[in-house]
Amino acid sequence: MDALASNRRQFLKVFGTAAVIGSVAPDVLAYSGKSRATSLTILHTNDVHSRLDPFPMDGSRNAGKGGVARRATLIQKIRQEQVNGQPRHVLLFDAGDIFQGTPYFNIYKGEPEILAMNQLGYDAGTIGNHDFDGGIDNMVTQFGKARFPLLIANYDFKNTVLDGRTMPFKIFEKDGVRVGVFGLGIKPEGLIPRDAYKETKYLDPIEIGNDMGAKLRSDKKCDYVICLSHLGYKYNDATVSDNVLAAKTKQIDLIIGGHTHTFLDAPVAVNNLDGQPVWINQVGFAGINLGRIDLTFDRGKAVSSAGQSVEVK
Amino acid sequence: MKKHFLLFALAALSACHPGYHLTNRTASRIGVDSLSAATDSSVANFLTPYRQGLNKTMNEVLARSTARIEKGQPEGPLNDLLTDALLKQATERYGKPIDCSHLNYGGIRNNLPEGNITTGSIFEVMPFDNQLIVLTMTGDMLRQMLNHFAKGDKLVIGGLRAKLHNGQLQSATFTNGRTLQPNETYTVVMSDYVANGGDEAGFLKNPIKSENINYLMRDALIDYFRQLGKTGQPINPVSDGRISIE
Repeated sequence: MDALASNRRQFLKVFGTAAVIGSVAPDVLAYSGKSRATSLTILHTNDVHSRLDPFPMDGSRNAGKGGVARRATLIQKIRQEQVNGQPRHVLLFDAGDIFQGTPYFNIYKGEPEILAMNQLGYDAGTIGNHDFDGGIDNMVTQFGKARFPLLIANYDFKNTVLDGRTMPFKIFEKDGVRVGVFGLGIKPEGLIPRDAYKETKYLDPIEIGNDMGAKLRSDKKCDYVICLSHLGYKYNDATVSDNVLAAKTKQIDLIIGGHTHTFLDAPVAVNNLDGQPVWINQVGFAGINLGRIDLTFDRGKAVSSAGQSVEVK
Repeated sequence: MKKHFLLFALAALSACHPGYHLTNRTASRIGVDSLSAATDSSVANFLTPYRQGLNKTMNEVLARSTARIEKGQPEGPLNDLLTDALLKQATERYGKPIDCSHLNYGGIRNNLPEGNITTGSIFEVMPFDNQLIVLTMTGDMLRQMLNHFAKGDKLVIGGLRAKLHNGQLQSATFTNGRTLQPNETYTVVMSDYVANGGDEAGFLKNPIKSENINYLMRDALIDYFRQLGKTGQPINPVSDGRISIE
């Protein structure tokens, strides 16, 4: 037996023991003494639809609401909050339909929307059906101005000009916590003019959702998995929605939704295939609201005395 | 030797992600308005030149209305006004009679304000760059289309009065006096979006004839409202009961 093989066997033995101890009392092994909680705040918008200015004061229901310059102030304030003497860790996401809905889009084709999102420090967005409204060439032009990635895992852009301009997922590490984020888009056929989406191939969101969940959790060792979805909150028929996605997948913790302009007062929990409650949230449209989700993490795996995963309410 | 193994093991462990688990989650929905937050001056300054460019085109007053003009289901004053406008403008452009006009309900993106209706107001109602298409179709196909949109109370039409029951068409009467017969042909003006099968209307893809009259829906509306404004009479928005539910 050569020395290397022996070393490896010895290592595996030590490592194996450590892993067992680790699953029971991770803090004891990895860090001596105190356990430290990590806080992370997720901020999100959906279906802003080119609403850069607040709704005009015309007596309508949404008069005076929204506005990207006010949203900037709110986000700035949250970023400046202190948690244990440290600035708060924030991730800012959008769930699609950035474009279309005010004359800003007709005249400027999405440039001010994207540049404003850069200023607000968006970390990622996904693609909504109306983001195709200026055509796929315009998406290349406008997304090219973004300092954040457009995440979409179930559109195959291979035979289009958008090929290589988007990413399926991105991993963010905040104070040691690994957050995997991926995007899912709605079926273009019958919704988006063919001339706009051209040869974009739509892939099954459930299948891709499961693939992404497994990849991010297992291969990429993410502690928390977020789906930015433009599938829509819920439908009366069997059409895939955020509710269907949550129920038929594993390893997704949070779905930030859009498309249906649903005003949820609070996130809705739907049990996934493992019986774990997935949170779904959506905050209306036009930037009328900013969604805020505060998460707290502890080191190590969550295990009960029976070795079962611990459910987080 | 043993010490060496241990160092190796520890190095490998620290390279491995120790993992975190969620212990708590809370959420809130923050309204964005003048009470919750002041305007950020650097974002506001960034927007200013865009807004100035916009205002030049968008502030032309086209017409006036005595009240807000709202869309509605199964019918609303805005539904009626827009489809009447499209039928009139499209007929002039087409140069031949058109039997009826159609708008997809979801395509009406905003209501019109009381008082001044500007170019910008029309852009908000109809932001899409959709073209008007005249489809020549059989009565059979037209009935299928009316039923398709009547489902869910989303039938928005001009030049036609329809009676519905449980989301199904009971009877239809054209304002030009024609009746709906399965084998007769009709001309229907609609957006290229719907004519190309949008809004799940794939059955419209094989009509007798499809003609693009090279007229943006929004331009047709702007032309219509500008003409209304020239009469000096304000719009008095009402639904005329063209859609009735039995």
